[in-house]
Amino acid sequence: MASVDIQDVRKSYGQLETIKGVSVDVPDGAFVVLVGPSGCGKSTLLRMIAGLEDISGGTISIGGRVINDVEPKHRDIAMVFQNYALYPHMTIAENMGFSLRLARRPKDEVDKRVREVAAILGLADYLDRYPRQLSGGQRQRVAMGRAIVRSPQVFLFDEPLSNLDAKLRVQMRAELKDIHARLKTTTIYVTHDQIEAMTMADRIVVMRDGIVEQVGAPLDLYDRPNNTFVASFIGSPAMNLLDGALCEDMRSVSVGNGMRLPFAGSVPASGRVTYGIRPEHLHLVQGTDGFEAVATSVEPTGSETFIQARIGEQAIAAQIRDRVAVRTGDVIHLRAMADKAHLFDAETGRRLG
Amino acid sequence: MLQRKRWRFAILAILPTLAIFAWVRMYPIAETLRLSLHEWNILSKNKPFIGLANFRELFQDQLFLTALVNTSIIAFGVLIVTIPTALVIAALIHHRTRSRFAGFYETSVFIPHVVSLVPAAMAWKWIFDAKLGPLNALLQMFGIPAQAWLFDPVLSVICIIVLCSWQALGYAVLIYLVGFKNLPVSLFEAAKLDGASGIQRFWHVSVPLLKPITLYVSVVTLISAFNVYAQAFVLASDSQGAPGRQVRVLVLDMLENSFRNYRVGYAASEAVVLLAIVLVLTLIQFGLLREKGRS
Repeated sequence: MASVDIQDVRKSYGQLETIKGVSVDVPDGAFVVLVGPSGCGKSTLLRMIAGLEDISGGTISIGGRVINDVEPKHRDIAMVFQNYALYPHMTIAENMGFSLRLARRPKDEVDKRVREVAAILGLADYLDRYPRQLSGGQRQRVAMGRAIVRSPQVFLFDEPLSNLDAKLRVQMRAELKDIHARLKTTTIYVTHDQIEAMTMADRIVVMRDGIVEQVGAPLDLYDRPNNTFVASFIGSPAMNLLDGALCEDMRSVSVGNGMRLPFAGSVPASGRVTYGIRPEHLHLVQGTDGFEAVATSVEPTGSETFIQARIGEQAIAAQIRDRVAVRTGDVIHLRAMADKAHLFDAETGRRLG
Repeated sequence: MLQRKRWRFAILAILPTLAIFAWVRMYPIAETLRLSLHEWNILSKNKPFIGLANFRELFQDQLFLTALVNTSIIAFGVLIVTIPTALVIAALIHHRTRSRFAGFYETSVFIPHVVSLVPAAMAWKWIFDAKLGPLNALLQMFGIPAQAWLFDPVLSVICIIVLCSWQALGYAVLIYLVGFKNLPVSLFEAAKLDGASGIQRFWHVSVPLLKPITLYVSVVTLISAFNVYAQAFVLASDSQGAPGRQVRVLVLDMLENSFRNYRVGYAASEAVVLLAIVLVLTLIQFGLLREKGRS
């Protein structure tokens, strides 16, 4: 195990800079998730750590050793690819033991290590099969097994669950967490799925357009997003972001049509702001309490009901933990939890207060 | 009803192709098989059925047996030289694709394949020429005595193998290049992270994954090498200058039997033997190169 220190790392393809000075500190044994939309540079950053992409600027250190110019095979890392990248002409045992065979380890030792890891991953019965004879989930496990066999200092995962169906993804998520808890190997995991990030990470690094937008523990990011991008990216369904003006009482925001949405605490601002409230922090209320909205769609899921509505020209979503008798077109009254509201600068999108 | 209509359309659509295929491919094979069981001197209307007599005679015919041995040596020689060389050249070109000379390399390797056989063979005849050829001049520069390349029975076979391989190489490299371009990059990245060097990645990843390409290229190379004719005809004249006599090959033997000795049935039986050999070898290659775990 080792820490990974990324300092002001840059990546350019000719004139085009895709990673613009990223600094991330991954502590020893941590599970850090790089998350962001497609094209944000998270996979490029991971590949730079792996040594599959050159580093245009800055330094990457593993265990205190700068590895910018170190060959991938000498970085003591293992990577799991999105498409598994299993050698189709090798059996599962051969796939898992390939790195050890290349390192000229004795055959007995390779076999023993492969069997040990196969047992951890529930692959013991499949060692003589070929990748094409396994299901997607099993192939994913083999890819992890190939990484684990080497006992590397750092695991790198590049969207490893993207090719799996939803049910299997949930199962594999739990297995990955379990393996990390057992092995305690430093792990850097790339995904565009914020649910994966939230459920698996010790720390999340949110990236956009080659820069780090915010680094923090999953719930810190959820509770105190630094800007509107993180606010809308983290959490599902996404946070409602409404344009408005700070009222004179400095405790509410006017979002048009005379509607006022409350917030707690004080902000050093005035004028235009963006009011953020998560759908689960909106409650459906009776009578004229709260603010008025027109329901545009109602989606009951059994345990809860999602209501899409409009306040004037702005859309808002509410997640109600009840079955409610609301129909599309109904005028409803919603109340926002003032202490859960977020305020952002309307111009820069930065958090206020 | 719809199903039947679809079938009818499908059959009608492929019928012209099937007809052409049957006419230019199946009919000549069937006709060769038929002729091999008959005696025919080209001119006579009479083609008496003689059963397997042609084949019985064939295996006591010293000229045929010599041609068969020579052709087999040339075919396997070409195969052994072409496949590994093409694989290595294709790998070098593929991994240097960022070089601005990549197109030049690809073209220069492929050109021999499109050059006409006879002029190319004439050029090689000059290269191998014992007195005027640059090959001997080069050897002599290093103190190696000049060789009678085209008059020594063993060396002349080697010369034909070199010429045939030079011509087959371009096509093989081209097909291998397509294969290389279709290999998933992530496998090579995974191998790199697993600690494989460039040569190890080539040996453990590229070579096994290119097996289907190797199968195709080796079958095509072997078949075309078994049909060697012009190269031997131009290169291997005997001491009195009779073309193709120094290294007798099957196609030459067939042509002589057909149009010099007027024994078309007998020549057809040679063609049938050649067909059988190529067929068996192709099946063996399929067996050897079949992907593991597919069956």
